Amino acid sequence: MTIGATWRGAAAILFGLVALAGVARPAAAEDKTPIKIGIIAEESALLGKSIIDGARLAVADINAKGGVNGHQLELVVYDDHSSAADAVRAYQRAVQEDHVSGVVSTFISEVYLALEPWAARLKMPTITAAAASNLITKQVHDDYDKFKYVFEGWLPAPIIAQAVCDSSRDLFVDMLHMKTAAMMSEDADWTTPLDAAQADCLPKAGLQVVDHERFNPDTTDFTPIFSKIEAAQPDVIITGIAHVGVQPTVQWHDQHVPIPMGGNSGQATNPEFWKTTNGAAGGVITQTGTVPGVALTPMTLSVADEFVKATGKFPAFTGFTSYDDVRVLAEAMQRAGSTDPDKVVAEMEKTDMVGTLGHYGFYGRGDTYTHAMRYGPKDVTGVFMQWQDGNQVCIWPRDKCPNPMKFPDFVKTPEQRAAN
Amino acid sequence: MPGMLRSPLPLVLLVLVLAGGAAPLWLDAYYLGIFTVAYYFGVFAMSWDLLFGFAGEVNFGPTFLIGLGAYGAGLLNNGGWPMPLCIVGGAVISVIGGVALAVPALRLRGPYFGLVTLVAVLLLLDFIVIFAAQTGGEIGMMVPDVLSISAVVNYWYAFGFLVIAGVILFGLSRSALGLILQATGQDRVEAQALGFNVTKHKVAAFAVSALFSGLAGAMLTFYQGTASVDQMVDLSIAVQIIIAVMFGGRRTILGGVLGSIFLVLFDELLRPIGQLNTFVVSGVALLVILFWPDGVLGYVLRPREGR
Amino acid sequence: MLALQILIDGFAISALYGLGAVGFTLMFGVCGVLNLAHGGIMVIAALAGWWVAADYGAGPYGGAAIGVGVGVVASFVTYYAVIRPIQRSRAIPAVEQEIFILTGTLLWGIMLQVGLDYLFSNNPVTMQPLLTGVVRIAEVRVPQNEILIAVLCWSVIGLLSLLVNRTRIGKQILAASINPRALTLLGFELSNIYLVVWTIYGVLAGLAGVLLASFLGASADNAGALTASAFTIVILGGLGSVPGSLIAAYIVGYAETLTAYLIAPTLRPIPALIILVIVIYLRPQGLLGRR
Repeated sequence: MTIGATWRGAAAILFGLVALAGVARPAAAEDKTPIKIGIIAEESALLGKSIIDGARLAVADINAKGGVNGHQLELVVYDDHSSAADAVRAYQRAVQEDHVSGVVSTFISEVYLALEPWAARLKMPTITAAAASNLITKQVHDDYDKFKYVFEGWLPAPIIAQAVCDSSRDLFVDMLHMKTAAMMSEDADWTTPLDAAQADCLPKAGLQVVDHERFNPDTTDFTPIFSKIEAAQPDVIITGIAHVGVQPTVQWHDQHVPIPMGGNSGQATNPEFWKTTNGAAGGVITQTGTVPGVALTPMTLSVADEFVKATGKFPAFTGFTSYDDVRVLAEAMQRAGSTDPDKVVAEMEKTDMVGTLGHYGFYGRGDTYTHAMRYGPKDVTGVFMQWQDGNQVCIWPRDKCPNPMKFPDFVKTPEQRAAN
Repeated sequence: MPGMLRSPLPLVLLVLVLAGGAAPLWLDAYYLGIFTVAYYFGVFAMSWDLLFGFAGEVNFGPTFLIGLGAYGAGLLNNGGWPMPLCIVGGAVISVIGGVALAVPALRLRGPYFGLVTLVAVLLLLDFIVIFAAQTGGEIGMMVPDVLSISAVVNYWYAFGFLVIAGVILFGLSRSALGLILQATGQDRVEAQALGFNVTKHKVAAFAVSALFSGLAGAMLTFYQGTASVDQMVDLSIAVQIIIAVMFGGRRTILGGVLGSIFLVLFDELLRPIGQLNTFVVSGVALLVILFWPDGVLGYVLRPREGR
Repeated sequence: MLALQILIDGFAISALYGLGAVGFTLMFGVCGVLNLAHGGIMVIAALAGWWVAADYGAGPYGGAAIGVGVGVVASFVTYYAVIRPIQRSRAIPAVEQEIFILTGTLLWGIMLQVGLDYLFSNNPVTMQPLLTGVVRIAEVRVPQNEILIAVLCWSVIGLLSLLVNRTRIGKQILAASINPRALTLLGFELSNIYLVVWTIYGVLAGLAGVLLASFLGASADNAGALTASAFTIVILGGLGSVPGSLIAAYIVGYAETLTAYLIAPTLRPIPALIILVIVIYLRPQGLLGRR
C-alpha cells in the first residue's frame, strides 16, 4: 500500500473515532430536581404497552398533585424486547447513566429474575407489574439483606393458583356441576409453580385433573394439543397462558372444541382481544385485575376513565398494577423524605394504600412470599371475567359479580351433555 | 515485511490502543459498558473475517460458534463449574462444534455452504428453544457468576481480550497460514495443484475462528450475567457481524473492529427512536453494501495501483 | 380416530408449507436468487390482509385479495430495491454476488420484520376464516377452512404447473432456469421473464401468508421462522426443484404432525431438523436437487 493512502486512512479513522467519541462524552451535569423512575417493558407486547401507559398516567397524576417532596416525577422508558439481556442492559443504563431512583418492570418472570441480581448489586428499589414466578420472592425471603430492594407488584403464581381453585369451586363445581379438569399451560417460569399448586388445590376444590399439557411458547398449531385433551374427556380446560393467547383461542373456536376454557389467559385480559381473535374469544374465562364497569375501590373507575381518555381504550390489567406500583414508589419516597434506597425500601414495606385493584400491602420478612402483594378479600384478589358478546363481564367473586356465564353453542357443559 | 517500517499503520494502532486503554479516565460507566460490548463484537467480527476474508468461506452462522461458546459456558456455570473453567469449556465446545460443522460443510460448493452454516444456527436456536427448561429459551439464561461488577474492570477485560485476539488474528492473517488461506480462497484449484491440503487449512481456519468466537461468547455471557439468543445466536447478530466486517472492510481483520465499534455506537445513538433503531441500522447497512461494498478500510486502503 | 386426524391435519399443514416453499425454490431455480426476506413478504401480506379485513370491513375475501396484492408489491420492491442493484453493481465482484444477495435480502427481511412489529405490534392476528364451521369426516371434526386451504394450495400449484408446461411464457421460464445464456442468445429478454417470475413469486408468497394467517395466525415475529422453515424444506427437497420442494413439504409436515400427536407437542420441530441434518451429511444437494 502507498504511504499516502495509509496516512489518509489513518487520519480518516482517527477523525472518525474522535467524532464518535465526542458523542460518547459524559453528559453535562444534569438538573437534579426531577426524580426519575425507570420503566422497562416491551412496547410491542400489549401487556408491556399497558405497563408503560399506566406508569405515564400515574406520573401525570402525582405531578398534578405537586410531585414527591416538592420534586416532579420524570419517567424514563426502556424497551426490553421481552429479552432478559436487553432488560439487563436497560437496567444498567437506567441506574448508572440516567440515575433513576426506582424501576417498574416487565410482566415476564424470566426477565424479572434476570434483573433481580442487578437490583441487589446496584441497590435499586425495583417492582414488577405482573411477573409471578415464586422464585422472585423466594430469593428475597432467603437472602433478605441482599435482595430486599426487589418487590412483586402482583400475586405470585402459587397464590394465583389458589384464586383459580377458589373461583373454580364456585363457578365450575357448584354452578356447572363439573367433576374433571385438564390443565393446559405454556412452558414458562411462571407456570411451573402455578401448575404444581393447581394440581394440588383443584382436586380439593372438586375437580379431578385428568390431563396436563405443557407446550412450547412458540407453538402455533394447537390442534394436536386440543385433540389430546379432548381424548381425556375433561369438563373444563384450565389454562396457564400469557405468551400465547390469540392462536389457541382462535383455533379452539374454529375447531369447535366442546370444552370451556378457564384459568389464566394473560392476553384475554386485554380489551383488544375480541378484535384480534375476530370474536373467537366468546366464552373464554380468565383471571384479571378488573374489567370495565367494576369498582373494586373508589379509584378503579376514575383511573379507568383516565386510561380511556389518554389511550383511547381500556388497558390490560398490567396498566392498573403499573399505575399502582408507581404510586407505591412515590408514596414511599414521600414518607421517607428522600430517595435513599434503604429508606425507600423500608417505607415500601409499610405500604398501606388504596390502589385501583384493591387495598395494597406487601408480605414481610417472615412471610413465605416476602415482598409480594397481600392476597385476601380485604386486600387484592383479582377478579375472574368472561368474554360475552364483545364485552368483558365480571363473574367472580360472586358477591361483587353475580353475572351469569354464557358459552358459545359448540361448548357443552355436563348438563347439556346429559340432556343429549 | 518491506515497507512496514515506513508505513504509519503500527503507529496509528499504537495510538488507538493507548487511547482505548486510557478510556476509563474520561468515559463514564455506561459508555464504558457500550465499548465493552463493542469490543467483544469486534472479536466476533475479526474471527469471521479470518474465515470469510481469507479462507473465502461465507459463514452465515458465526452465531452458531458464538452461541455454542456462550451457552456452553453458561450451562457449565449453572452446573457448578467455576467461571474460568466455564470460559475455557465454552471455547472448547465451540471448537468441537465448529470442526464438526466444517468437515462435512466444506465438501459443498457455492450457496450450499452458506446455507448449511445458516441451518446450523437454526438448529442451535431450535435446540435452545425446545430445551427451554435448561437453557431459558428465547428469554435468556442467567448465570450465577459475573466477571466483575465494576464497569472499569469489565472494560479492561474486554479491551485486553480484544487486543490479544487482534494481535493473534492479525498475525495469523499475515503469516504463512494466512497466505495459504488467501491462496485457497482465491483459487482453490491452483492452491491444490501447488500441493496444499486445502481442506485441512480451511478446517484449521474454522477451528481458530471457533476458538475466538466461542471465547468471546463465553466472556460476553459472564459480562452480562445472562446468555441470550437475541444477543448471541439470532440471525440478526450474524448479519450485524457481517455488516461490521463489510463496513470496516473485509479481508483486513482490523476493519471488523472498526465496523463493530461504529455499529454499536450508531445503535446507541439511535436508542431514542426505540424499536426502530434496528430498522435504521439495517437500512444503513443495506445502503453500505449496495454502494460501498469494500467498506471503509477497504476503500481507504484501495489505491494499490500507485506503487 | 387418531390416524385420520393426523392424516387430515398433516395434509393441510403440508400443503401450506408446500405453497411457501414452491415460491422460494422457483425464485432460486429461475433467477438464482435466495430470497431471505421470504418470511417478511408472507407476513406483510398476512398483516395487510388482516388490517384491511378488520379495520375497513373488507371481509375475509377482500382482505385476502388485498393481502395477495401486497405480497406482489413487496416482492417487486425486493427485486427492484435490493436484488437488481446488487446484480448490476460493478463494485461487487461476480463471485461474491450471491453472498451480497443473501446478506442484502436478510437485511431487507429484518427491516420488514421490525417495521411490521412497529406498526402492528408482535401480537399475532388471525384473518377470519374464508369458510366458517366444521365438517365431520368419519369421527373427526375438521374446520371447513382447513379443507379449503388444502384445496386452494393444490389448485394454485396445479395452475402453476399448467402455466409452466403449457403456456409460452411458462416454457421461457423453464428454459431460463436451465440455461439463461442460451435464452438471451436466442433473443429473449431475460428481464421480462424475471418480471413474470417475481410476480408469480409475489402471488405464491402472498397467498401462503394470507392462508397461514387464517389457519394459524401470523405476527411480525413469525417472519424469520417462516423463512427458515421455507428454506429448510427447500434444501431438503433440493434447491431449484419444485417437485422436490413439494415432497419435502409433505415429509416435514407429516413428521411434525406425527411428532406433535404421538410424542409431544413440544418436540414438534425436532424431526424436521434431524432429517435435515441427515440429508446435509449424506446428500447435501437434497432429494431431487442438482449438484
